[in-house]
Amino acid sequence: MLRLENLTCGYGQMRAVHGLDLEVPAGGVTALVGANGAGKTSTIMAVAGHVAIRSGRVLVDGQDLTRRPATARVGAGVAIVPEGRRLFPDLTVEENLIVGGYALPAARTPPNRERAFALFPRLAERRRQRAGSLSGGEQQMLAIGRALMTEPRFLMIDELSLGLMPKMVDLCYEALASLKTTGLTVLLVEQNTARVLAVADRICVLESGRAVWRGTAAEARADPRLIESYLGEREAPALP
Amino acid sequence: MLYLNLFLQGLAQGSIYALIAVGLTLVYGLLRILHVAHAGLFALGAYISVTVTNATGSFPLAVLAAVAITGLAGMAIYRLLYEPILDRPPFVALIASIGLFIAMEEAFRLAFGPYGLSYAVPPNMETITFGGLFLSRAQILLMVVAALLLGGLGLLTERTRTGVAWRATVTDPPMAQSFGIDIVRVRYLSFFIGSALAAVAGVMISLINNLVEPTMGSVPSYKALAIIVLGGLGSVKGTLVAALALGVIEAFGTIYLGNLLDRDAIAFAFLILVLMLRPHGLFGAR
Repeated sequence: MLRLENLTCGYGQMRAVHGLDLEVPAGGVTALVGANGAGKTSTIMAVAGHVAIRSGRVLVDGQDLTRRPATARVGAGVAIVPEGRRLFPDLTVEENLIVGGYALPAARTPPNRERAFALFPRLAERRRQRAGSLSGGEQQMLAIGRALMTEPRFLMIDELSLGLMPKMVDLCYEALASLKTTGLTVLLVEQNTARVLAVADRICVLESGRAVWRGTAAEARADPRLIESYLGEREAPALP
Repeated sequence: MLYLNLFLQGLAQGSIYALIAVGLTLVYGLLRILHVAHAGLFALGAYISVTVTNATGSFPLAVLAAVAITGLAGMAIYRLLYEPILDRPPFVALIASIGLFIAMEEAFRLAFGPYGLSYAVPPNMETITFGGLFLSRAQILLMVVAALLLGGLGLLTERTRTGVAWRATVTDPPMAQSFGIDIVRVRYLSFFIGSALAAVAGVMISLINNLVEPTMGSVPSYKALAIIVLGGLGSVKGTLVAALALGVIEAFGTIYLGNLLDRDAIAFAFLILVLMLRPHGLFGAR
């Protein structure tokens, strides 16, 4: 599904990712883990077209997206739930979903919106509410719903549980598990190791912009040294 | 009845301000640029209206030409002036915009002479008296046209996919791109709509005064800037409220404070007063 070939990217003079090779097979969840500054978000943002790629290639289903603008990537089936959600706060829940489906014909918006509401019934209750006034968990649901409005084949989620109450984290991960059963390919960036080990099929550990370990979640679980060195037993801090 | 008359006169003046300032706020919302040259487009619309009407005898054709040419001129300003300097600090675009505005004033002077132009056969602008109210036909037309255009713009931004996409682009352009919104197209569309509305304001002023002159954009240029600050930079709703409020306050102020302050001084005294109470403007985000 996604292949990164020798990807180097960064901001201005700074390089955040150095020669990263990564293969995300179709279907299932691949997790990118690592400490802050390891290059996880930069990798995702480079695939989405928001970080300048210095060298290497980004391929989705064999299609070279390296030099294509962010606008064109949604057409290749790529969707993103960015770090911090980045909803359109002055728009209502429903309007955020409309923006999510903007690249598709208007007739596809109502059924996709109903699917998002079925996945997150709470969004249906808040459909006329401004996104900026939602709780953190509801905002995360909306960010996922907005991304699903693009009818993605490849979904990137950056920090699904960050700053959420445990109950909301449960809801978001239940939704992710449900999406996984539909055959959607997910690239997940997550600090919450317990959640990663539970949901991911494959794991790639980044350190200082380089991949230092790749394998299945089962292999990761069986490697105590790896967990101690790179994953730890961190739980994302929850906001009250 | 005097109060009602003043109120209607103020609304008419406020409608002119609103038509001009909305374009300015659209541009500011998208690019964070103070588009001073926008007032030059207001004058361009007025000049086109008078010259085309005098040349063809058709006022509707002149309005159409003014709206289309001024809209396209606005898009050209974006493409040729602002786009190449978008990554520079905002003051660079501001200086460029002021320079273009001065150049446009001088171009009007060179092309049409320093004394201004009038309609050869002035359109019917007689004053209509109704139950003690006095309004010229041009003022009534202005208020109707402004209500229709600005109402239409409101519907466009609130009720259509394009409008929702436009508002999303104002908030977070890169994220809007992630959902397939072509932000360059949104910018061109905003420049076209904003410039066309300024052209309509220019046409209306040319009708009310039956005079267009090279410096007719000077006062609107700084007053429109004051209005978008007053409304809360980038807020279309705030701009509309501020424009109408300023028109009404000026109308009352010239009667009751006319001995102390002139019309423009009243406008800026109001601006200062509001900013002292609400530093982010009437509808601005903190």
